[in-house]
Amino acid sequence: MPEHDVVVVGGGFAGMRAAIAAKSAGAEVALVSKVHPLRSHSSGAHSGINAALGAEDSWQSHAHDTIVAGDYLSDQDAVEILCQEGIQDVIRLEHMGVIFSRDGQGRIDLMPFAASSRPRTCYVGDSAGHIILQVLYEQLLRLQVQTYDEWFVTSLLIADGVCQGAIAQELSTGRLQPLYARAVVLATGGLGRMYQPSTSAYTSTADGVALAYRAGAPLVDMEMVQYHPTTLKGRGTVITEAARGEGAYLVNKDGDRFMASYAPERMEMAPRDVCCRAIETEIAAGRGMESVRGGQGRERVERHDDCVFLDFRHLDPQRMDDRLPETQLLAKNLAGIDIKKDLVPVQPAMHRPIGGIQINVDGATDIPGLYAVGECACVGVHGANRLGGNSLLDSIVFGRRAGDAAATYTRATPSQRASQSLLEDQERRVQELAARSGGKDTVGSLRLELALTMHQKVGIYRSRVGLREAIEKVNELKGRYARVAISSAGGAYNPSLSAFLELGNMLDVAQVIVASALARQESRGAHYRTDFPQRDDASWLKHTIASYTPDRPSLAYKPVVITQWQPSDPS
Amino acid sequence: MDVTFKVHRYDPATDDEGQLQTYILDTEESATVLDALMRIREEQDSTLAFRGTCRTGFCGDCTMRISRRNRIACHTTVAGALRDGEITVEPIDLINVAKDMMYDMEAMVYSKYRAVEPWIEPGEPQPEREHIVPNEVIQDLRKVMSCTMCWLCDEGCTTMVVDKTFLGPAALTKAYRVIADPRDSRTMERLNKLSEAHGMWDCCHCFEASEHCPKAIDPTERIFALRNRAIKVNAGSPKVRNHYRSFAASVKADGWLDEARLAIETEGLSNVKGQLKQLPLALKALQRGKRPMPYILHKKRPGADKIKDIFEKWEKSS
Repeated sequence: MPEHDVVVVGGGFAGMRAAIAAKSAGAEVALVSKVHPLRSHSSGAHSGINAALGAEDSWQSHAHDTIVAGDYLSDQDAVEILCQEGIQDVIRLEHMGVIFSRDGQGRIDLMPFAASSRPRTCYVGDSAGHIILQVLYEQLLRLQVQTYDEWFVTSLLIADGVCQGAIAQELSTGRLQPLYARAVVLATGGLGRMYQPSTSAYTSTADGVALAYRAGAPLVDMEMVQYHPTTLKGRGTVITEAARGEGAYLVNKDGDRFMASYAPERMEMAPRDVCCRAIETEIAAGRGMESVRGGQGRERVERHDDCVFLDFRHLDPQRMDDRLPETQLLAKNLAGIDIKKDLVPVQPAMHRPIGGIQINVDGATDIPGLYAVGECACVGVHGANRLGGNSLLDSIVFGRRAGDAAATYTRATPSQRASQSLLEDQERRVQELAARSGGKDTVGSLRLELALTMHQKVGIYRSRVGLREAIEKVNELKGRYARVAISSAGGAYNPSLSAFLELGNMLDVAQVIVASALARQESRGAHYRTDFPQRDDASWLKHTIASYTPDRPSLAYKPVVITQWQPSDPS
Repeated sequence: MDVTFKVHRYDPATDDEGQLQTYILDTEESATVLDALMRIREEQDSTLAFRGTCRTGFCGDCTMRISRRNRIACHTTVAGALRDGEITVEPIDLINVAKDMMYDMEAMVYSKYRAVEPWIEPGEPQPEREHIVPNEVIQDLRKVMSCTMCWLCDEGCTTMVVDKTFLGPAALTKAYRVIADPRDSRTMERLNKLSEAHGMWDCCHCFEASEHCPKAIDPTERIFALRNRAIKVNAGSPKVRNHYRSFAASVKADGWLDEARLAIETEGLSNVKGQLKQLPLALKALQRGKRPMPYILHKKRPGADKIKDIFEKWEKSS
């Protein structure tokens, strides 16, 4: 039976960074991922990583921008760590082999990004994520970290309130296997598959969030769901924020740069939430391009296909070849568009959860031995709205810290082995699933209903009425999910069980998102309530904490950590 | 619109060989083939196994043979793949299939990737800040690292057809990534290793790799660059270097290849044992009318001066 000091679940930036740190600290580490690490969705993070490297810049300025963009819901102690330690962590990435784009002197070049007061984003053309992912994997190989590629974690092994490993399905054989460990680090990424449209990969299904939640670790600020303002119409494929950083305009169907009415100073460089609401408002007012698809088609929903445009036509073509090569390629391949000549139809799509598993600044959850980091976790740096370029930084800084902390924890923790009965329980459950006779619902039909509900009612604009409908819908879907059958669970590469469990993970976490959003009676950052359009610091300058109960999440609140930046009046 | 998908199914537990299974899906023409496969799995057949993660062409995991062309499924639209009202989805040839559309990646792909030890190893202590690197070098590396490891270049490789242990263009391109990185210190050792059997000298320069690359990384040219580098720094077997230099020198001097000179110089003039080994071959060639005359008698071809000009121009520019 495999037994390790530290088992990291997830092979994106956060997971690999944690594994590298834990291994470097002397722990015996294994990394488990449902896809090969090189196929992780971190590769889709095109834009870059923020660090106050500029001569004129300071970590305090970076921290201030982060906190303002987060609408003061950020925990400022964590933000200070992010912005201070992040500088050295980005340099470490360069030392590992990341090929950050350079300026004329051969130093790391910095790009201006939305809502940042100075150029601060280190980038690699428009494919930073793809490059950093490769370099972290190179380091994983260099350090000889053992990997379990294409193993799907089905549950955590918790005994006496302590995490002692995980149970996973080895996809190549279909067998359930225990992975014993003194510490587990969850780094499973996002949850975009529960929204449509979404920028996420097929694999972003809230797995780690749900595993921790059901095991008793609280989730924090789950109502904060960030949309990306510019994604390819109908597909949700991100057109990187670097596009606007390079000077692309947002225009409506009349060719007007409409951001002038919403953020006259920053224009296209306004924070993401502001841009998203502006685009939705333009579309609602009839100034977007209307759907050309008409009223039918399976995925057609109200406004789903309506869009505004990104205009690159005034930019220097040569510079675009240097800065935006991948963007050009995907616009051409996915939409048949030459961005140098044509307008690019874009619409907001769900991008990234800002909340997640509650962790401290060392990545520790409330369960001893269980750590979490990256997109599935919430250390509190992003507040209510994440600054572009801060997500990679979050995963690198807190990934390292979590790996270090997990290694330290294992040194003081005796080897434990959870009882065999937990594995037997799982096996029995799978047999029951396979024996079930199902109705007409499929994993796919339920997921689509969930995703459309979440987008329509728990998306950019929310209201009490819509959120109540969403709660009922999610509860109904959970009921129907409990009767879905899977034809067979075992055998080589049978995706039936993992797809079924992924949907269950998404339904559990959707319940938390909707309940948290309904409870927060104000508008802050990514959470916009049409019935409570103002930020309300007197009542709501606090984090939502959701804990698992079998029926519905139980909600509580905790104060925001404020060190030196007092909330200013909402703008 | 209803589209007929014929998808490769194979279960090692029950099947001797794979077969195509038919699914009919109501899908839009603008959807990608990967979208369609995902819907087939979610709505019709939960056991259908295939890879494909990011949906946008970055993860490199959905390489398939779609309507008889090797493609990336997430960058192939239904409209673009339709042939006579149907779309066939089959595995590429090179890699063994473990189930349906799942390849056994370890043997043909990841083991080769690891074999080139694709991480940089700095020779000196790291600087306090970043390394100073010209942006042109970064741009070249970025092009190479835009590789998604889709392995379409290996699929096109003609050497791979006869030698599956050949490292192949994908892994060699990854090797280029570390060797061309000025922060790496193991150039000599890496080039020596790549010069071994089944390494970079086994490429037969058919340019299929470059033809197949969906990211225009030009793997064939990367292999040439590695070889040039090895020659420049005297890495690998001296015989290989002699052969390379003699080939070039002969064509430069006479406008065509002097095979006798090539044979002699490859072995090395002072290598008596090596030269003797060539004798039977030379005699046989004589017997069969191929007559490898001593190279002093080799004649310049007409127009050789122009060829010499080309060489000199290239030498000046590189």
